[in-house]
Formats: sequence, C-alpha cells, structure tokens
Amino acid sequence: MKSKFEELKTIFIDSVDKNNYVELEAGTYNYNILETSLLKPLKMILLYGKPGTGKSMLLNKLYHNLKEHREIHYFDAPILSEKAFLKEIYESMSGQSIPDNMRVNFDGLLKYCQSLRDKREIVFLLDECQLYSEALMEKIRLLSDTRVVKFVITLHKTEDEDIIAKEHFKTRIWEVIVMKNVTEYDLQLYLQKKLIKKGFIEVSNMIRKKDIKYIHFMTNGNFRETNKYLYTIFDIYEYYEKNSPQKISYKKLSKKILEMAAIRLGYIDA
Amino acid sequence: MHKIEVLEKKWYRYRLKMIMIPLGSSVVTAFIGSGGYYLYDKYYIHHKPITRVLSATKEANSSDINIVKVAKVEPLEKSNDILLEPIIPVIDLKKEESLHYAKKSTNSSTSHKRLVKAKANTYLTAKELASISSVERRTSSKPYVMKKIKFHSTSVNYIETIKEKYEHSHSSRDALLLAKAFYKKNAYKEAENWALKANEINFKLEESWLLFAKSKAKMGRKQEAINILAKYYTKSKSSKAKALIGQIKTGKI
Repeated sequence: MKSKFEELKTIFIDSVDKNNYVELEAGTYNYNILETSLLKPLKMILLYGKPGTGKSMLLNKLYHNLKEHREIHYFDAPILSEKAFLKEIYESMSGQSIPDNMRVNFDGLLKYCQSLRDKREIVFLLDECQLYSEALMEKIRLLSDTRVVKFVITLHKTEDEDIIAKEHFKTRIWEVIVMKNVTEYDLQLYLQKKLIKKGFIEVSNMIRKKDIKYIHFMTNGNFRETNKYLYTIFDIYEYYEKNSPQKISYKKLSKKILEMAAIRLGYIDA
Repeated sequence: MHKIEVLEKKWYRYRLKMIMIPLGSSVVTAFIGSGGYYLYDKYYIHHKPITRVLSATKEANSSDINIVKVAKVEPLEKSNDILLEPIIPVIDLKKEESLHYAKKSTNSSTSHKRLVKAKANTYLTAKELASISSVERRTSSKPYVMKKIKFHSTSVNYIETIKEKYEHSHSSRDALLLAKAFYKKNAYKEAENWALKANEINFKLEESWLLFAKSKAKMGRKQEAINILAKYYTKSKSSKAKALIGQIKTGKI
C-alpha cells in the first residue's frame, strides 16, 4: 500500500520550479521591485540574501513571467569558463550556434552589443554569481555598459561575499534587492499554500500555530531549511504509516515526530 | 535496526534529558532553598539583633527602637592630671595586689608617695602603674609637684572615661559596661540605649539582651521586656532569659 506521505514529502524536495513558487507578501513585494527595476535604464540589478531566501525562485518566476513579453535569458547554473560564458551570451543574443572549435572574441562581442544600441534590450538572469571570477564579472560589467544588455544577478550573502558585493559591485549596480528569511506568518502561508496547491488540505489542517512556531524556530524561516525539515517530518510519518500506524494521528502534527526530524537534521542535539 | 527506530531511541533519550534537566534543577533549587531557610532560621534569626526582633514584633513601639544618639563626649580638659583607664570588672585581684605592693615598695624609696584610692572597678592595671612610676622617674630630677587625681565623683568619671574609650573602640563590651553603669545609676533609658548599641555591635552578647529587657521593665514597659526576652528565649533557650522573664512576671524587677 502506498503511503500518502510518500507523495506528500516530494513537494518539499528543494527545486527551482515555477510551479513550486508560492506567492507571499514579502516575495510579491520583492518581485514588484524587480520587475519595476527592469523597466528603468539600469544596467545591473543585484538580488542579495542568504541561501534559501528564495532568490533563485524569484529569478525563475521573473523569467517565466517575462519570457513571452521581452528578450530574456536565464542562466540558472553558473558558467564558470569565460569562453563558454561569452559563447552562451553571443548565442543567446544572435540566435546562432557557434561551432565547438571556435570561440567568441570579447572585443567582437562588445562591438556586436554596441551595434544593437537603441534597437534591442536584452535581459540576462544570472544565478549564483558568487561563483563567477572577478575577471568575468568585469566583462559582465563592460557588457552592461553598452546599455544593450541588462543583467540581474543573484549573490549569496556570506561574510566574504559581502565584501565582493560591496567592493566589486557598489559602483556598478543601481538596484539592490535584499532577500530575507520569512516571518512566522509568512511561513504559515507558505506551508498552507504549498499543501493546498497540491491537494493536501487535511495535512494543512494538521499544522497548528504552535507547530508553525516550532518549525520557524528550527528553520529561522528559511525556505530551504523549511523544505528540508518538512520533507524529513513526512518521511518519518511515511515510515510510521507503513510500520506502526497506531503511533501516528492524522488530526495534528506529532510533537514527537517534529522533534525526531529536528534531531535527524541536527537542529537538536540529542 | 531501521534508522527510524534508532532515531526514536535518540528521541526518548532527548525527552528524558528534557524532563530530567528542569526536574533536577528544581530539586537542587528546592534543596538549596530549604537548606538556606534552615540555616537562616537556625543561625540568622536566632542571632538577630534586638532592633530586628523589635521591628518583627508588632507590639513593639517603633519609637522605642530608635537609637538615641549619645551626645558627643567632650574631651576632658587637658591637664597634668593622670587619667586612669578604668579597669574591666574581671581582674586578677591577687596578681594586681602583688604588683601593686611591689610598685608600692619601689615608690616608698622615693620621698614622695602617691595615694590612689580607687573603687574596685577602677583598680590600676600593672601597665598603668608602670606608666605612673615611669612618669615619676622622668620627673624625679625636677622639684616634685603633686599631681592631683580627680576622683571626686568616681561613677561620673567612670562613665565619662568609658564613653571616651567607646568613642575610640566602638566595642560592644564598652557599650555594655556603659549600659551596666547607667543601669546601676537607675538611668534606665540610657541603659536601654547602650544595651541596644552593644547588641547591635554584637548580637550574640546575652547580657545586652538581658540588660535591655531589664531596663525596659524598670521603665514600666514590662510586656515589651517579656516579649523581647520570649523571642530571645525561643531561639537561644537561655536559662537566664527564662529566669528574667519569671522575675519580671512576678514583679521582682
């Protein structure tokens, strides 16, 4: 017999999928800023925040919402090689495929961009930019200076990367959107919407306010941690449902299982 | 064993820990609290000074526990007179006597003799006698001028001297001596004040409790005196306090 928790836990697998995007107040606010910024003559926009705050998800949503209306390209994984990056940019802009034995000359690319001024405006969404080299970031800046290419980049907020963000981009970026962990209220909305969207209404009703409080306490309102935590909770539920169903209730979330999941993930030192 | 079962065992340990920690700390807190209370009750309350006992006793009138400030004793007029330091009541009379005679025989070799008549509580100590003789030796080359020792009113002198001594020492013993002296002079209010002062310095001094109560009784406040003594007796089980209560009750004091 297939456990319902087996399916339920999969919705908490961490993935950047537009179908998994949950509209939240803070997310909507940030999305609107981002969309408005793209209308302005800005060259670079930075999405900045700790891992798991929803940067990639926001970028993904932006791409899917705008791809029908404007020229927009999304690089969800960083292209670390300069050669491959320039090739990808050129191919995206020109629609031509470059043979493997040829490479894109940066000066040539710049001239190509300049030739498109006032004719086209192309948006590139670059995720995980903290992985790009400084030299490549400099080339990205020069490309954005042509005013033909706009870049929206995401950057993790850690101590070292904070320096990169401050020093490297402070003179180049005109808009910075800071992404933060969510509040208890937003976390509740996030879980409810996510569960209801996938048809788990009764599970959504199992989660009480004090459970939300506990989950928020354990995860600090971080989406990635929350997904991981919920996945583990329902993984344990799945085990009990299959092996000892008398140990679980379907009316409310079990504190024991919440704590067991926290122990498994190392949130609690047992 | 399945990993969930292992996890469940960990959870049981965690729960146990979560129960034991607050429980253990509660037990320790309760133990410390009760132990502290026991010690407080046994030692602190037992030995708390009269003022605290008075404030704890409803019957006590707050005005009674105010310490009457003793007017600053003016230093005695400077003169060539030799001031005798009063002797503490308990002295080795035989020893003092023999020393006194020894000094007397030394003094008899000089042409000038000094006769010091003092009451029992103003006996000269060996040290003082030695200082007198040394003064005499130092001045022996000069024409001798008889030094006058003021003993016109010995009890006043005694009190003044003790007061002066108390000013320097602030010892409970001196305060108690003053209380006794005033009590003997039937100055009970003063006696009460000095007994209180002695008790504040050293609340273990039984005599201060007794004298305080006796002074109160003498001033007609017998119930207050009994209350104080009863409190003291409850904690100390002092036979003297008990006897004094009996005396006050039967009107002997």
